[in-house]
Amino acid sequence: MDDRRLVTPRGLTRRSLLKRGAGLGAGALALGAMPSFLAACGSSTPSGPKELKVLTNQPPDPAPPGVAEYSEEAFAKWQSDNAATVSYESIPYTQIHDKLATAFASGNPPWDIVYMSGWVPEFSKNLATIGDMISAELKSDLPPSSFKTVTWDGKIQGVVFTLSLMTLFYNTEHFEQAGLSEPPRTWDDLLRYTKELTRDGRYGWVNNYGAPEGIGGTANLWMSYLQQAGGTMYDEGGLPIFNDAAGVDAAQFMVDLWDAGTEPGSISYVGIADTTNVFTAGKASMMMNWPFMWKPANDPASSAIAGKIGAAVLPAGAAGTASIDGTDAFTVTLASKNPELATKLIEFYLAPEVQKRQVLDTGWLPIRLSTLEDADVQAAATNAPIVLEQAKAPYDSFVTPDYIEVTQAIGTELQRCIRKEKTAQQAITDASDQVAAIIKAR
Amino acid sequence: MTFDGGAAARPTGRSYLARRRRTGTLLVLPALAVLALILALPIAASLALSLMKADTADFRFGVFVGLENYATLLADPVFALALRNSIYWMVVEVAVVVVVALWFALLLNHPMGRWSVFRIVLLVPWALAPVANAVLWKWIYNSNYGILNFLGTATGVLPGPVVWLGDPALALNALLVAEIWKEIPFITLLLLAGLQNVPRILYRAGRLDGAGPWQTFRFITLPQLRTTILICIVLQSIWALKSFDLVYVLTRGGPANATTMLNFLAYRVSFQFGNLGLGAAVADILFFVMFLLALAYVRVFRPARAAERGAA
Repeated sequence: MDDRRLVTPRGLTRRSLLKRGAGLGAGALALGAMPSFLAACGSSTPSGPKELKVLTNQPPDPAPPGVAEYSEEAFAKWQSDNAATVSYESIPYTQIHDKLATAFASGNPPWDIVYMSGWVPEFSKNLATIGDMISAELKSDLPPSSFKTVTWDGKIQGVVFTLSLMTLFYNTEHFEQAGLSEPPRTWDDLLRYTKELTRDGRYGWVNNYGAPEGIGGTANLWMSYLQQAGGTMYDEGGLPIFNDAAGVDAAQFMVDLWDAGTEPGSISYVGIADTTNVFTAGKASMMMNWPFMWKPANDPASSAIAGKIGAAVLPAGAAGTASIDGTDAFTVTLASKNPELATKLIEFYLAPEVQKRQVLDTGWLPIRLSTLEDADVQAAATNAPIVLEQAKAPYDSFVTPDYIEVTQAIGTELQRCIRKEKTAQQAITDASDQVAAIIKAR
Repeated sequence: MTFDGGAAARPTGRSYLARRRRTGTLLVLPALAVLALILALPIAASLALSLMKADTADFRFGVFVGLENYATLLADPVFALALRNSIYWMVVEVAVVVVVALWFALLLNHPMGRWSVFRIVLLVPWALAPVANAVLWKWIYNSNYGILNFLGTATGVLPGPVVWLGDPALALNALLVAEIWKEIPFITLLLLAGLQNVPRILYRAGRLDGAGPWQTFRFITLPQLRTTILICIVLQSIWALKSFDLVYVLTRGGPANATTMLNFLAYRVSFQFGNLGLGAAVADILFFVMFLLALAYVRVFRPARAAERGAA
């Protein structure tokens, strides 16, 4: 007999296979549920270290000890002293906002501490108020204005941990070649310098106008010019008032700067890294930049112009100099089971020694005034005095709950203005109408 | 004579066939439950969400607003632009991908093109991770360091460096080129499989009748590939509408919304603006279009199956 039937292991029929499959499935389910069961048992145990979960940036964006390489011993000691373990989830800066949005929408964010960059008003309902938990000593050592971007409805919900204001970076070698002995002080200077430095296949100015939204986007850059022109974004009732002479002048200045010699790729660069690459390759002579770029721009491994960079406060418009705020802060989520301990960890991140190592090892300036004035810090971060001087002038990024939507609307109109599809007046009027509609819908 | 009993042997509750059918249904039920959980439930939830005013910070307290989100979209010029961009993107991508892929498939089906290395090389763009592909093109298009400008200016084709992603019309088409480059391989393989199923005897008959290469292609290859081409068109249309990674990495929808398409708009409105209700409305409109295309796919596929059964 030619028996070609399917041969199964002895005693294994389809029925028994189903039964065994069901048994295996039940076993797998039980095993799958085991970690939750064990976790539940663990959570009822009062002893043992408390766990804090932190969502933060990946370096080179600002990150705390344990993610970036600094103050590692002090961090280990803090965990030991406080019977706590800290686990990090560090992701690229560009992904943090969206991850927060989905986690908060779920109603169950898994973190105790989260990094924020201008999003405190947007996520205010999901954040703990920690103003009362921060020590008076720490508060007194921080610039009072640093709390502006982490305060909403009168509640302090975070602490900025790095002084991150845009200042002017310029190529000293290009300046010497052009016979320019000092940085531009006014808008007129900047336009003139840009024209003079645009030669030999390079450009006087470079910026990232490709992404309209968020901190560091096109609209945010315009806000620095707006304040330099003497304007502001909102009235006391929160309605837009930037459709005035200052708002239009600021937009027109961006167009004039474009015509004077802004590197053409600027309209396509979507981040500060793209722009900095052009500057550090020596293809552009000036740019507005965040302080953290000072260190890599002066590192011969990543820069062709190391040691040839100068820093200055941003050129003044009609109302003087002004800048914008990077607003890098740590906040505690409302879902945290240990808000006091989480606040204590934030205070550790802002401890003088940690702040000092932060700037020395990563290039991110401290926010503590005493650390900024430290001799070692000023010797290592030679741009620190410039940033401190810039901080004496306005540096508002005008964050609101709908910041990304607002900046998307303004930044898109500014892109049209730079591309000459609209006049500065038309672009600002249209942007103002859109922002008014966004605020009304809020 | 039939051996299965035909209509006379209609399965009763205790018959072998009835038990077999019941067992089959029971075995399929878990899969149906999983499908309901991962497909039907999110679709229903998305439809419900599109009828609500709900934001990410306050998601649990959404308010029913009926069709207000859809009305908002219809009045929104950015939505209109995204819709136009999506349609343009889909039409151009499908047309170019199918035509070029057909050409490649014909080359690979030729005796000289059957060397396996050709197929491996062809698969490289398709095998690349989407974000890696996008980053690769970001560098190719870089106005300062990009190889495209380097080659263009070195050969004199370009008078100077071009900002490929800085001009609205140029940016959308630059993204299209990158997308087409990635999509061609898979469609080529589908068409190649179709070509290899064309009976050789038809070509021999054509040659005997004196048909030239163009007549052979026009009257034998194309009609025989009709179903495969239609499937490629429908599938590629669905994939084109889903495009996201290139826009996200290269332009973020800019400059001035020039590269914003429906899928990216749904993401931006939902997760960047935090307006989940409005974002769901954009996604649902996109879903509806893709659903129609999927129905077309099913209709295209069904006669082929019937014909196969008939042939068997």
